[in-house]
Amino acid sequence: MRGHAFLVGTYHEGSSPVHRAPLWLKFLLVCLTGAAAFVLVDWVVSAALVFALLLLHLLAQLPASHLRRTAAALAPMALILGGWQWWQLGLPAAARIVLNIAACVLAAGLMTATTPVQQLLDGLVRASGPLRRFGADPERFGLTMALMLRSIPFVLGAFADSRAAARARGLERSPRARLLPVVIGTVAYARQTGEALAARGLGDADADADEEASAGEGAG
Amino acid sequence: MSRIEFDGAGVDVLDGAGAPREILSGVSLTLTEQRIAVVGANGSGKSTLLRLLNGLVLPTRGAVRVDGLDTRTAGAKVRRIVGFGFTDPLSQLVMPTPREDVELSLRRVHRDRKERRRTAQALLANFGLERLADQSIYELSGGERQLLALVTLLAVEPRVLVLDEPSTLLDLRNRELLRRVLSGLAQQVVFSTHDLELALDAERVLVVDDGGIVFDGAPHEAVDRYRTLAGARDPGAP
Ligand SMILES: Nc1ncnc2c1ncn2[C@@H]1O[C@H](COP(=O)(O)OP(=O)(O)OP(=O)(O)O)[C@@H](O)[C@H]1O
Ligand SMILES: [Mg+2]
Repeated sequence: MRGHAFLVGTYHEGSSPVHRAPLWLKFLLVCLTGAAAFVLVDWVVSAALVFALLLLHLLAQLPASHLRRTAAALAPMALILGGWQWWQLGLPAAARIVLNIAACVLAAGLMTATTPVQQLLDGLVRASGPLRRFGADPERFGLTMALMLRSIPFVLGAFADSRAAARARGLERSPRARLLPVVIGTVAYARQTGEALAARGLGDADADADEEASAGEGAG
Repeated sequence: MSRIEFDGAGVDVLDGAGAPREILSGVSLTLTEQRIAVVGANGSGKSTLLRLLNGLVLPTRGAVRVDGLDTRTAGAKVRRIVGFGFTDPLSQLVMPTPREDVELSLRRVHRDRKERRRTAQALLANFGLERLADQSIYELSGGERQLLALVTLLAVEPRVLVLDEPSTLLDLRNRELLRRVLSGLAQQVVFSTHDLELALDAERVLVVDDGGIVFDGAPHEAVDRYRTLAGARDPGAP
């Protein structure tokens, strides 16, 4: 399950203007798109935003498979949510909501597809450096963010997998067969990631953290 | 070498009905040898014993200490000293490509990005993996993944390496490579294995059966003992 899922968010090497754009600019794009999703009330503007993001994808020369995977991951949610909103609020509102979500996913996908994870990490660590003064651990924060970014495609992929598995057993109408594997898979994934980091001594707070606890033990 | 102490360490888990079940009974041992192997049947408790070493599992009773650091109270410090390799290398790898995963390990040691890049390249090259550096980890073969998992572990420069069945997925050639790598390591290595040849490379071998240590000593005797145990289990044996 992890395998298939992970490929959704992979970095694609390239030298396009989007690849070369500074990280802060891409990050700003993601933030602004996220903000726009709350502010935009006209589906035409949302559609224009999605169109602009698609143009950026073209500019980045990402393989068609990247967009195809994003679309496949988005489709079930867009259909369910869009259908519901259409019924509740009418077509324009439904279109706006679906397009806004698509815009957010596209923007985030564009950033992760054109930025190596390590660079993403470095950027986050640097950006959160000033917070050190307030007792934050930027390295740890960067790691958390990177793992969060990686887990989004995992969860989307888990949905696709459980749908395929349910269908294979003729259970596609059972919400239990569709949702339970996602929940179990996600919890197991989170646990496994935690163990993978612990296995390398990564992800712990600075080792001095347990100084106090072991004070009476006398290392040596 | 580090001094690994098991002080009456036992582990209970809750079974399906919520009642505690002992999967490791009070183990008391001191390990100071450089190469220590753990053998035993499936489900005998090898992984549990190894996981105690860096706090992935905490003892229900007793204590486990590495160089005097208690895994319960000084877990983070113990994990800086003790690296753990899982049987399934996919459990070990968190980044999408080998290069990124090795660079992740290096973050703790090297703050500088260029330095990390160079070191990662060198490490991958050492194990003949540079050609695969930018491939998805899901496109690697099982053996390549297992080697990569070992590289990501070595990259954090642990004092003690704990490896849970490191040779399971390897073909003959890569198993030889692994044996060579293990024998060349300056670190202390504690590993479990079903590969008795690999076990014979160790200086000390522990035989685990049904949650307890039933033999502790020289490799040849240990392997004989393990064979006898396995024979006693086999209903077809005379
Ligand atoms: N978290 C857990 N919860 C419940 N039971 C567990 C847990 N961890 C291990 N066990 C049980 O403890 C016993 C020992 O497991 P362990 O994984 O240590 O065996 P092992 O010797 O490594 O086996 P293998 O050779 O198959 O890897 C098994 O019966 C297993 O089912
Ligand atoms: Mg095991």
